Amino acid sequence: MKKVIIGGGQGFWGDSNDAAVHMVKHGGLDYMACDYLAELTLSIMARQKLRNPQAGYARDFLGLLNECITDAQDKGVRILSNAGGMNIEACVKEIGSIFRSKGLSGRKIGYVLGDDMTGEIDRMIAEGITFDNIDGVGDFNEIKDKIVNANVYYGHEPIIECLSGDADVIVTGRATDSTLFLSPLMYELGIKEDDWTNIARGIMTGHLLECGGQGAGGNFDYGWRDVPDMDNLGFPIAEFSMNDLIITKAPNCGGLITEQSCKEQLLYEIHNPASYVTPDAIADISKATLTQVGKDRVAVGGIQGKKRTDTLKLSIGYHAGYKVSTMLSFAWPDAYEKAQKAADILMKKMKRKNLKAEDIRIDYIGLNSLHLGVANMDPSHVKDLNEVVLRVAIRTKDKHEAEKIIPEVAPLQLNGPPGASFFGGRAKVQEVIGLWPTLIPRDSVKLTSNIITIE
Amino acid sequence: MAEIYLNQIAHGRSGDKGDTSNVCIFARKPEYYEVIKREVTVQKVHEHFGDMVQGEIVRYEIPSLLGFNFVMKHALGGGATLSLRLDSLGKSMGSAFMRMKINFDEAQEN
Repeated sequence: MKKVIIGGGQGFWGDSNDAAVHMVKHGGLDYMACDYLAELTLSIMARQKLRNPQAGYARDFLGLLNECITDAQDKGVRILSNAGGMNIEACVKEIGSIFRSKGLSGRKIGYVLGDDMTGEIDRMIAEGITFDNIDGVGDFNEIKDKIVNANVYYGHEPIIECLSGDADVIVTGRATDSTLFLSPLMYELGIKEDDWTNIARGIMTGHLLECGGQGAGGNFDYGWRDVPDMDNLGFPIAEFSMNDLIITKAPNCGGLITEQSCKEQLLYEIHNPASYVTPDAIADISKATLTQVGKDRVAVGGIQGKKRTDTLKLSIGYHAGYKVSTMLSFAWPDAYEKAQKAADILMKKMKRKNLKAEDIRIDYIGLNSLHLGVANMDPSHVKDLNEVVLRVAIRTKDKHEAEKIIPEVAPLQLNGPPGASFFGGRAKVQEVIGLWPTLIPRDSVKLTSNIITIE
Repeated sequence: MAEIYLNQIAHGRSGDKGDTSNVCIFARKPEYYEVIKREVTVQKVHEHFGDMVQGEIVRYEIPSLLGFNFVMKHALGGGATLSLRLDSLGKSMGSAFMRMKINFDEAQEN
C-alpha cells in the first residue's frame, strides 16, 4: 500500500528552522509543509506591504529555504508553504534568487493567487453579499471603510494543480494550514473529490502537524518534565496511506510522540469536534482514536468526514484604533501595594490630562496578569511577594490619546512609591486591528495556479 | 471527599479563535474520565471563571480520547489585538482552567 511521508516544518511566523532542516535531512520525507499564517498575520503583512511594496510576506521562509533547499532537492522533498502572505509574487521572486544562487536551474516554483479579496469588497457588496459576522456581532457598515485586508481561506484544488505541474516549491497566501498537508496526500494517493472521510483524515493529519513542535512534545501539559532534549525538539511527521495514519518524528532529535502529545494537539483550536469545518470537508473527530504502536509512533483512527459547505471563510482585518502598554517594577516589601499606588497615580494623571480611552487594563505581572480573576489573591501570599511588575494598557481611538501615558511612567521612579524600576525603554503605540470573519459563496472566489521555471 | 486541583487528574491545552477560547482537557487515567464528567460541568466552569469569560460555554465530550472540549465565547477580553490582556491569545487559559477545585477521593473513586 502506497504511503506518503509529510512533515510539519513550521508552527508559526517566527518559529525556529532547526527542526525543519533536520527533518529534510533525516526524516525520509516526500513533502514538508510550513505554516506561517495565524489569524492576524495577513493584516500585519498588509501594513508592511503598504510601507514597502517589496514586503508583506514571511521572509523567514527564505532563510529556511536557504538552509534546506539543496538537501530537499537532493532527496526529492517538495515543500509547500503559505509564506507568500500578502505579497506572493515578491516571495516567489526571492525564492527564485535562492534557487539560482544554489545552482538549481530548471526547478519549478508554483504559486496560487487570488485569496486577497481586499479590492473585491465593493463588487461583492454590489452582488448582494452582506458580510454578516460569523460570531453574529457588529454592523459591517461600521468597519467597511476601515478595512486593512480581506483574505479568503481556500482548499486543495489550486495546490494540486501546482503539484501536477511538478512544482518543487509551492507558495500560497491564505490556503488553510491543513490543506498544505492534505493537497499532496490527495495528489499522491488519488483521493477522490467526494471521498469525505479520507479528505478529513488528510485535514486532521495537517492539524496534527501544522503547529510544528507543539505536536511533538512542545507546550506539553501532560508531562513537560519528561520530554527528551527540548533544545533539539523534533517536529511531527505523518506516514499516511489509505489504510493507516501514523504520527512520528525524525530519528536523532528531541521531543516525543505519545497518545497524550497527539491528544493535546488534535483538539487544539477546534470547537465542535463532530464538525470541524474547512474548505475541503467537514471533519468529525468525535470518535477519534490514538494508539501508541511503537516508540514515538502513534496510530490515528476513527476520523470521519462529511461533505464540505458551499461557502468559504473570508477573514477581514480592519483598523480598530491604537493601544499601548507600559510597565514598571517594584520589589519587597509591599511590592503589590506600591504597584497599586503607582497605578493610582497614573490613572489620576490621565484623568487630569483628559485621556479618552476605549479600554484600560491594570495588571500585576508576577501576581495576576495571566490568571486574572482565578489567580491566588490570598492576602498572606500577596503581602509577601518578592516583586511585582505593574502593567497598564490602554486602547484608544486616536493615536495621540494613547501617547499620553508614555512619558508619565518612567518619572514614577523618582516621583512615586519607593523602589520603582523602569525598564525596556519608552513604550510604543501599536495599531489595533480587529478581525471580522464572514462567509462568502465559493463561486465568488477566483484562484489561479501559476508555475515558473528557474532559468 | 477531598478537594483537589483539576490538574492533578487532567491535562490539556488552550487555543484561540478571535475572542473565543477553547480548552481541551483529558483524563490522566481512564478512571478519571467519569470524575471529570461529573465535576467539571458548564455551570462550574462559569462559576470558576466569573467575569473572565463573558459569553456562552459549551462542553463537548470525546470519550474515545478520554477528553472534553470546552468552548468559551467572549473569553479573551476582545481577542487578538483588541484585547489588552498580556496573554491576549489565551495560552494560559488552560492552566487557569486547571486551577479549578474539584471533589475527588482516590479511594472512593476506585
